[in-house]
Amino acid sequence: MTAAARSDDAAFAAQRAAQERRKALAPWLLMLPALIIVLLFFGLPTLYMVRMSFNLHFDQRLYVPGFTFEHYINLFSNPLFTGAILTTVKLALVASLATVAIGYCFALLVWLKPARWRLLFIGLALAPLLISEIAIIFGWWMFFPKNGLLSYALLSAGLIHDKVSLMYTEFAAFVGLVYVTLPYCFFILLSIFDGIDKRLLEASADLGAPPVRTFREVMLPLTWTGILVAFSQSFIWTMGTYATPSALGPDTLWTMGFLIQEQMLGKHNWPMASALAVVLVAGVAAVMILTRSMQSERNSFHV
Amino acid sequence: MTAPAALELQNVVRRFGAVVAVNNVSLTVGKGEFVTLLGPSGSGKTSTLRLVGGFEELDGGAILLDGQRIDHLPAYRRDTATIFQSGALFPHKTVAENVAYGLRMRKVPKDEIGRRIAEALDVVRLKGFEARYPAQLSGGQKQRVALARSLAVRPAILLFDEPLSALDLSLRLQLRAEIKRLHDELKFSAIYVTHDQGEAMAMSSRVAVMNAGAIEQIDTPETVFHAPSSEFVYTFIGESCCLPLRIDGPDLRDRAGNPVPLALGERPADGECRLYVRPSRLRLAGEAASLPNRLEARIHFIEFLGDVYRYHLKAGALELAADHAGSIGHGVGDVIAIGWRNEDMRLFR
Repeated sequence: MTAAARSDDAAFAAQRAAQERRKALAPWLLMLPALIIVLLFFGLPTLYMVRMSFNLHFDQRLYVPGFTFEHYINLFSNPLFTGAILTTVKLALVASLATVAIGYCFALLVWLKPARWRLLFIGLALAPLLISEIAIIFGWWMFFPKNGLLSYALLSAGLIHDKVSLMYTEFAAFVGLVYVTLPYCFFILLSIFDGIDKRLLEASADLGAPPVRTFREVMLPLTWTGILVAFSQSFIWTMGTYATPSALGPDTLWTMGFLIQEQMLGKHNWPMASALAVVLVAGVAAVMILTRSMQSERNSFHV
Repeated sequence: MTAPAALELQNVVRRFGAVVAVNNVSLTVGKGEFVTLLGPSGSGKTSTLRLVGGFEELDGGAILLDGQRIDHLPAYRRDTATIFQSGALFPHKTVAENVAYGLRMRKVPKDEIGRRIAEALDVVRLKGFEARYPAQLSGGQKQRVALARSLAVRPAILLFDEPLSALDLSLRLQLRAEIKRLHDELKFSAIYVTHDQGEAMAMSSRVAVMNAGAIEQIDTPETVFHAPSSEFVYTFIGESCCLPLRIDGPDLRDRAGNPVPLALGERPADGECRLYVRPSRLRLAGEAASLPNRLEARIHFIEFLGDVYRYHLKAGALELAADHAGSIGHGVGDVIAIGWRNEDMRLFR
């Protein structure tokens, strides 16, 4: 081989190597803007919040730099806080389950109906997203009280004999939470349904499976991932949200969101509020990991 | 008393709003018979099949399977098995689980299920693919699994809903031959829906040509091809040239009024008519010399189709296409003779 050919080969190899390096770098470069935003505006404040939760607190000062486990100990020993954790988890769990159940039926209906109904249903599901949470709460305030729409409707229908108020009850808080998270749940599930070949339902029936069996054997396994994703997003939302349950629920409905707000603004105890927030974030993360582990490998075949 | 037919449709009607998709269709499929419903899209062939499978509601008539009425039963209570165009394999189940599905629903004992899976996969030549998922199979393999899944339940009738139309040509021919072989071996009864005349001809015991929701003709492939009962069947079943003519006693003219010197065998009645011939039956130049029907035509353009050259010719207002193996030594613009035998043409009015 001549010297010229060898140097050509070397140049070619160098170019190849450079190309490989660029290829390896490309995904990182593409991710960079999002990564910076996440780290700067989410990672950093979270770390700061964790640090804050170990600071000291005396008198009416917001916080005093230091290091103590006092707030965490307080959080898990004071029945006020443990009760709030339990209430929050219970409310979020029930609301999320109800949201997924309603959202699933709604999405299934839209998927099964002819295409001309689709736009109408999607429009209906989008409508609540155009209104702010606060405006929706005002809406509920007209709906639930003794002289509200619900009471009036039930009375006119002859289902009750005396006006009732459901305002400031756990039920009202529950309904409010479901209402807020339902649209997201619906769209997540609809996107999953849209990935399924409707002929599968016919194939299942054709092979002798009654509808309930078809649901269990075909629909449920194919939508399981969607159910878990919809559940996790509902759960995260309902765990963290503060306005809806405090505005619609009873004064005694102390959720974590409410307590964080109270510790922060009312009691001027920033470390305590941070400790509560850390527990909230950790709890949500734990639920996400749990739901992720419930997704089976097989589901990846459905597209 | 003779044994009942595998399937019988009696005056079946299906409407979609104002559109009559299936208009009074009657059809009998004997045991072991392979009947094809052939027609263009919108002819009602798929609707007819879906009525049998139980995916559409009947608006009139009756459907009998093995002599028993089934049109009131839901799909899952009917002893039919459909092979869908898309295959419709369960993506979350393996090949073996897919084939087992219908057997489990029919409460077949476990060891018997295992035997039948092996048998069905053996028949469609997919042994060793049991643990694969549909996403790991090619298009042709998916359709074989779909076939195995339907065969495994040993239904009273198999319903094929254009199972090959999504595949490429060579695979289509291969699977077509395989379905034919399976039918010869297993002697199942089947209805096969297609818009491909080749498939219909190659596989069927009988072909039912459908148009506008009704069966135009139902007979053996040979009869349908050689003795089509209507203009629609003639034009749908193979390629054809249409020659619009006006007959007035001995005078024969095209639509532009030019005289057309054709013998036409027996002199047909007066009036407007359409004469049809098939490109493969036309003879050109010297080969046309002794034929009773002959025209002088100018070569308009020539297509090379692989096996044959197709000569597009014009004679006055008439347009013809003739196939010829190899070149005839004439080019575009040349005027040559074109002719055909009396038995190779059909007249419709």
